[in-house]
Amino acid sequence: MSSRLGIPIDNVSIVHGDTDKVQMGMGTYGSRSGAVGMAAISKALDKIEAKAKKVAAHVLEASEGDIEFKDGKFTVKGTDKAADFGSIALQAYIAHKFNGQELEPGLKESAFWDPTNFTFPAGVHICELEIDPATGVVTIDRWTAVDDFGNVINPLIVEGQVHGGIAQGVGQALLEGAVYDAEGQLITASYMDYTMPRAQDLPSYNVGMTVTACPSNPLGIKGCGEAGAIASPPAVINAITNALGHENITMPATSEKVWRAVQSSAHKQAAE
Amino acid sequence: MYAFTHHAATSVADAVSSVGEGKFLAGGHTLIPTMKQRLAMPGHLVDLNKVAELKGISDNGSVLTVKAMSRHAEVADSDVVTKAIPGLAALAGGIGDPQVRHRGTIGGSIANNDPVADYPAGCLALGATIVTNKRRVAADDFFQGLFTTALEDGELITAVEFPHADKFAYVKFRNPASLYALVGVAVARRGSDVRVAVTGAGSDGVFRWKEAEAALAGNFSAGALDGLKVSAAGLNGDIHGSAEYRAHLIGVMAKRAVAAA
Repeated sequence: MSSRLGIPIDNVSIVHGDTDKVQMGMGTYGSRSGAVGMAAISKALDKIEAKAKKVAAHVLEASEGDIEFKDGKFTVKGTDKAADFGSIALQAYIAHKFNGQELEPGLKESAFWDPTNFTFPAGVHICELEIDPATGVVTIDRWTAVDDFGNVINPLIVEGQVHGGIAQGVGQALLEGAVYDAEGQLITASYMDYTMPRAQDLPSYNVGMTVTACPSNPLGIKGCGEAGAIASPPAVINAITNALGHENITMPATSEKVWRAVQSSAHKQAAE
Repeated sequence: MYAFTHHAATSVADAVSSVGEGKFLAGGHTLIPTMKQRLAMPGHLVDLNKVAELKGISDNGSVLTVKAMSRHAEVADSDVVTKAIPGLAALAGGIGDPQVRHRGTIGGSIANNDPVADYPAGCLALGATIVTNKRRVAADDFFQGLFTTALEDGELITAVEFPHADKFAYVKFRNPASLYALVGVAVARRGSDVRVAVTGAGSDGVFRWKEAEAALAGNFSAGALDGLKVSAAGLNGDIHGSAEYRAHLIGVMAKRAVAAA
C-alpha cells in the first residue's frame, strides 16, 4: 500500500483480525491470507485510485481522463500541474470547497475478492542427516530449500515462515507425538514429556527462492505459510529410509525407533 | 502456594536445631515445585542459602571436598574441581540448563536422590563420602533407592568428599523432551579398581554395574565391554525409551564414558 500510493509506511495502519472492520471473510487456511486478503486490498486500492483521480480532476481543474497517478503524485497530462496523494485525500473530505453535487465526498473503499483458482507454490527441500547406529540418534547436518512463492511482498517474513515451517516439520518427523495410555490418559501432557523441536535439533538453513508470478491473483503471489511444514517431514523421513536402506519406520522417528530400524538395515549388515 | 514459615539459618547448628518437622531448603528446584503441587506440604522451611560454612570447594591433593551448598555452576567453573577431577566439573556443567545450574546445589541433588539425577552416578562411581552434621556415609550406603537415602530426619548434608581418581568421566543420553538423563553412566578408575555407576535407567535409582567393573578392571578400554549385555529387568521404560533400549544404551554410554575418561 505504501509503494502503491506513494505514502510513508508509517502512515499505513495494519488492523489484524477485526470483524468490526471486515464484515465478511472466511478465515485463514490453505496459506490463502496473503493471496486472497492482499488481492482484496489491491482491488480496494484500485477503487481508491479511481476515486482519487476524480477528486484530483476537480482540484487540478482538468478532465478526469487527463489525470495520471505515479509515485504518489497526481499530474495533468502535458502540464506541470500536480498534487500529492495526501493533499488529494484531504480534499476528498472537504469536497464543499470544489465540488457541487457531482462527487460523493470521502476516500474510503472496500473490495471483496474471491480467487478464480488456488495458488500453487512449489519447491524442493533437501535434508542431509546422519544416524548414530549405536543409539539411533538422528542429527540433521544440512538443509537446503528452494521455493517458488510467486511475487514476495516481505522477504524477511516469508523466509521466517519457511524456517518455522521446517522446524515444525522436523518436530513432526522426529520428535512430536501425542501419546495416550491404555486408560485414555494423555501421557504427553507437558513439555517434560512432549518433545518440541529445539534450536539444537536444527541446522542453519540454506533457503532460496525462485519467482514465477501466480496467474490467479492480481499481485502474482502464492501461499508460503505451509511450504516448510509440508516439505520437511518427507525430506527427513526419505533421508532416514535412504540411510537405513529400508522403509520400515514411522513418524515420529524417535531415537529408539531408528535404533530398532538400524538392526534390520541392510547397510548395517553390509558394514558388519 | 500455601502458607508456611521460613527461617534463614545462619549456621549448620542453627539449621539443624530449628528444622523440627520442617524441611531444609537448598536450591529449591525440586522442593518448591513439589510444594506448589501440594505433593509435599511442609509447614516450615529452613533456608540454607545464607549458611557460609556450607559453601566452598577445596582440595588437599588426594581428596576434593565440595561443600553442600555449592551450586552446579560453581562446581562446573571451579579451577579446583577442574584440576582435581575434570570429569566432575563436566558432569556439573551438563546438569539441567543455566538457570538450574545457578540455583541447584550438590547437597540438594543427592539428598533428593532423583533416579534421573546426574550427581548420584558421579558420587557412586567416585566412591564419594557424604558428610553430614552427624556422620560420614559412603556413597554405596547413602543411595538407598528411589528418592531414598541414608539421611535421617533432621540430618543435614554438609559436604561431599571425592577421592581423586586416575580416570573419571560421565556420559549421558538425554531424554529428548525433559533433557534429564534417560541413561547416564559414570566410570572411575583407580589403579585396577574400577567403578561404574548408572543413573536414569534403574527403576530403583542409581546402581553399580558390577559386570562392567570386572571387565574393565583388567582392561580399561571401551572394547573390554564388547558383548557385555545389561538385562532389561528392573529398568525403567517409558515413551522415550523402553527398558530394552535403556539396557542397550547403558552399554553404549559406558563405552563412551571409558573412551572419554
